[in-house]
Amino acid sequence: MQDFLELLRNVVPSLLQGAVITLQIAGVSLLLGGAIGLPLGIGRVYGPPWLQRVLGAYITLFQGTPLLIQLFLVYYGLPDLGLTLGRLTAAYITLGLNSGAYQAEYLRGALQSVSEGQMTAARAIGMSKAQAIRSIILPQALRLVLPAWSNEAIAMLKNTAVVFAIAILDMMGQAKALASDYFAPIPIYMIVAVFYIVLVGVAYLLLRQVERRVQIPGLTSEAE
Amino acid sequence: MKKQVVAYLLLVVALLALSACTTVQPTGQSADAPAEGGLLAEIQAAGKLVVGTSADYAPYESIDADGNFVGFDMDLIRAVGEKLGVEVEIQDMPFDSLIASVQEGKIDAVIAAMQATAERDQQVDFTIPYRMTKDAFVGAGDSTLVIEKPEDAAGISIGAQTGTVQEGWIQTALVDTGLTAADQVFSYERADQAALDVANGRIQLLLMDAEPSIALADETGLKILLITELTAEGGKSIAIPDGASDLKAELDRIIQELLDDGTVQQIQEANGLP
Repeated sequence: MQDFLELLRNVVPSLLQGAVITLQIAGVSLLLGGAIGLPLGIGRVYGPPWLQRVLGAYITLFQGTPLLIQLFLVYYGLPDLGLTLGRLTAAYITLGLNSGAYQAEYLRGALQSVSEGQMTAARAIGMSKAQAIRSIILPQALRLVLPAWSNEAIAMLKNTAVVFAIAILDMMGQAKALASDYFAPIPIYMIVAVFYIVLVGVAYLLLRQVERRVQIPGLTSEAE
Repeated sequence: MKKQVVAYLLLVVALLALSACTTVQPTGQSADAPAEGGLLAEIQAAGKLVVGTSADYAPYESIDADGNFVGFDMDLIRAVGEKLGVEVEIQDMPFDSLIASVQEGKIDAVIAAMQATAERDQQVDFTIPYRMTKDAFVGAGDSTLVIEKPEDAAGISIGAQTGTVQEGWIQTALVDTGLTAADQVFSYERADQAALDVANGRIQLLLMDAEPSIALADETGLKILLITELTAEGGKSIAIPDGASDLKAELDRIIQELLDDGTVQQIQEANGLP
């Protein structure tokens, strides 16, 4: 026990530094993913057939290949094409593009769960398609997508762990370095698991609060 | 909501408790082998030094097309035998059974590019190192950096493989002394990934084990700027039975002689080692 407390004292400062990087990468990538996922999701549902197919291909590409390979291609592959990204930039872009594909799919599900009658009704009172999407469909869909989006946020916190592979000292990177410094991989990976679960727990509780805040009585996916 | 928070806290506490249990207890047990005085006399009486190796590690030890043991270690042990005035008999066996064989007295010594780690040192005795580990500073193919001594790497972005001796050297000699900022040091999963980042200019230097660096630099078009033993610690030694102090004294003396008169250097070059 004494040994463990000593180890804990030694590793916590580095892991906290790593946690800041992990949160930073997860936050930026989620926002970037949202910025990509929103138009993609709308395009997938309401766009012309050719656009739906193109977006479908993008989504299949990012959902169908391992994140680590995407990261390697962006970080180590792009320099061959003359584009050398910084470590953090490469992480933001890869995780953002990847998350955008997932967020688009979640949004598609939410958009489709708003009944078609509402679009017909909106058009009947003289709204354009864009107006109907913006004022009638999206406000409901964005509320409906929140539970799925919370899952994406939580998955993102853990997905960031791949960035140790491009020498970023996130929580995972710090844990790997510490594990070899102290020759104690198992306790250190357990400690870093605790760090992740605390981050995920806090994120989960915050997102539940947001869900509650924006809830409208009667609007649930089940009710549709 | 409250229940969830409580459940989470419980989970965290449980995980922490579990990780406390996994803290490894250092085992301070050393094998007490009986003193084996007189091994040197036995070897000299028999006129034969029986040496174990694992002939699968060129250029240190391997078997050529004619079935002869060749390589740096093989040449060296034959030179040692010559100085001892005995014949050298080489036995090939798996690397992980070498230590056990020398403990059981099946062989007199082991030469197999073996490093005298603390763990092995509890099982057997080691001679002084006959070859120090060397490290290489690697730069881009068109690098104009001049690295004449390890400290010339100060203040230059540098990478190494996670958990290696080289990474440790960077930390203690460059970062802890303030010569290089911590954010100029990058720790890679694999040395070849670090080499890619040197090639595309994200970092300027890579510090790694010298032997694989030559092939790596060759394949990836990088340039080896300096090969040095100043950054490395330890080296390769001959293992002998625990407590064989007379044999150790004699072998240490011979190795020192071979190092001093340039024989080791000559054998190294003949086998293409840096």
